Amino acid sequence: MSQSQPATRPLAPAPKMSAASLALMPVHFIMGLADKPLRALQKAAGIGGMATFFLAPNMLIFSIFVLLPIIINIVYSLTGGTAIFLNERTFVGTDQYAHIFNCSNYLDPRSCQEDAFWTAVGNTFWFVVIQVTLLIVCSLITALILNRDLMARSFWRAVFFFPVLLSPVVVGLIWRWILQRQGLLNYILYPFGHDPVTWLSDRTVAFAAAVGVSIWAHMGFYTLILLAGLQAIPKDLYEAAEMDGTRAMRVFRRITLPLLMPNLLVVVVLALIKAVQVFDEVYVLTGGGPGTATQFLTQYIYETGFVSQPRNAGLAAAASILMGLVLVVLTLIQLGISKRNENKGKR
Amino acid sequence: MGSITLTNVQKSYGAVHVLHDINLDIRAGEFVVFVGPSGCGKSTLLRVIAGLEKITGGELAIDGKRVNEVSAADRGLAMVFQSYALYPHMSVRQNLAFGLENSGMPKAEIAERIGEAARMLEIEQYMERRPGQLSGGQRQRVAIGRAIVRRPTAFLLDEPLSNLDAELRVSTRAEIAALHDRLKSTMIYVTHDQVEAMTLANRIVVMRAGKIEQVGAPLDLYNNPANRFVAGFIGAPHMNFIEGDVVESTGGTVVIKAANGEQFTAPVPLNGVTTGERLSVGIRPQHMGLSETGRGLPAKVRLVEALGSETVIHAEALGQKLLAIVPGQRHLSAGEAITLAYDGAPIHVFGANGQRVN
Repeated sequence: MSQSQPATRPLAPAPKMSAASLALMPVHFIMGLADKPLRALQKAAGIGGMATFFLAPNMLIFSIFVLLPIIINIVYSLTGGTAIFLNERTFVGTDQYAHIFNCSNYLDPRSCQEDAFWTAVGNTFWFVVIQVTLLIVCSLITALILNRDLMARSFWRAVFFFPVLLSPVVVGLIWRWILQRQGLLNYILYPFGHDPVTWLSDRTVAFAAAVGVSIWAHMGFYTLILLAGLQAIPKDLYEAAEMDGTRAMRVFRRITLPLLMPNLLVVVVLALIKAVQVFDEVYVLTGGGPGTATQFLTQYIYETGFVSQPRNAGLAAAASILMGLVLVVLTLIQLGISKRNENKGKR
Repeated sequence: MGSITLTNVQKSYGAVHVLHDINLDIRAGEFVVFVGPSGCGKSTLLRVIAGLEKITGGELAIDGKRVNEVSAADRGLAMVFQSYALYPHMSVRQNLAFGLENSGMPKAEIAERIGEAARMLEIEQYMERRPGQLSGGQRQRVAIGRAIVRRPTAFLLDEPLSNLDAELRVSTRAEIAALHDRLKSTMIYVTHDQVEAMTLANRIVVMRAGKIEQVGAPLDLYNNPANRFVAGFIGAPHMNFIEGDVVESTGGTVVIKAANGEQFTAPVPLNGVTTGERLSVGIRPQHMGLSETGRGLPAKVRLVEALGSETVIHAEALGQKLLAIVPGQRHLSAGEAITLAYDGAPIHVFGANGQRVN
């Protein structure tokens, strides 16, 4: 080296103006302004007080838009009448719940006074059972395929994930355009000698369409979770199984499935929660019809509370509390599972 | 049973050639170690033999039968993976049984084989535990056990000791050697640790960049390395190399001139070297000593490592770094002038192409 090095390095490198530092300038400016008052505040309030200060905005928003409506909803469910404002409504106690559960035969929903609620519950139940089962099976198969060395694997992953990014209303509209009488499906089938069919006016087809469309719309999300789970399984376990001459089905049953189980459980519960809440895509697609064939619980609540004349906000509130209880149970199960998985990870 | 023959075996991933024309004859019952630096293709070669990778050229035969197209399961080999690859959700017993159940073996025979392997490896008390509840050394035994129960024609071990701590590595190494003596099966063992290679192998295969550099018994490689790479790789610490151009070669000595202009005389008869040719003269640190008579190579001490039983001297001579290991404890300090003796030391001379010339 021609020049002798200084004994110590210069304290700070010469400042360079990069695009990033330029973009951060307003941030630094604001931080500079906020610095002094925040320090003063911390001195006055202490560390715990600062935590409260920073959490307060979020807690405020949570209280106004989540907590308060829940409380108001509970209050509504205890009132009757057609008035909108709470102060004009009469207190009826648990009458709304009694009304819902007033059935002459508990095995026959049609014998109930509020049979529309029980029809919606029945529809939702079958929707949840069929949709979740098919959804999990489809997601698992898709994830297994996408986990292989495919050509253009990233492209296929994007293809399956893309519907998740669509707004539910868009999903509903797309499929209505495909399935309506002057829709794409009839247009394709027409040259093959099929007369145009009003697909969505058939009860079974409409229900199947509701299930199919919601699977199409949500599958990508669950596929992604399962794919992540599959990729976390070490490759050499499969190589060890290959050396042992394990048949593909046995590898799946004895290695893949047990090791994927934590992810699978999470996916099942998440899908259950989502399916119980089914509303938007299906409402846009079928409007609950034909008749009440695709009317689900959320739609019943919405129509009872906001559409029907006279509006029955009390009954709708009671129904939504009941639905909320089901969701709370499912959420607790989900939390329990994730906690168990976390503990397993620690071991 | 258990001979493995590789003839012109090649493996490439697209345009990347990982293995070039590998020719190797592994005899039944032999313990062969593949050794080489990271990325030399030793693990790929093992996986090719295992059948986990398809070869792209040449022929692979087990017991004289061509197995190029035979699946990994039907080659009758068992592999011990670097990560052990134990099934985390199964107990030790289930891990051992899993492979045997595939072939529909009767339950009684499976139990008997597992019992035998468990006794041999002293893992009987852990049979109902899961891999997550075992220590590294215990997992390692289970992984070996899973190979043993299959009674394979040959064992393939891919860096099986690399996840163990230093002490456990030494004891497990001895156990693997004992296991080989007992089972008398062919074992192929991959490692980058030349001490493991030296202590375990009947024969060592030194690899570099997808090619075999030399095959031989451990001491053959140590005493007669075929090229500079093998000379530098086998033996710890590395062999000293003195680089220089030939000044003259007469009778029993060759004189070379180092880059700094100083000359070095090596007492080794060489034929067919021309003046000006570049040579590397290799002398192992263990074969260099401190001269009592003043005859030898003048050097300067750079660093002294006192290990108690021996002293490692980092010295500089001819403008190059040299290492000498001398027995006992020597009190030397950095900067001190010494004379390195190499009388009677085995001297290895390599040409410009790296091949041995003496």
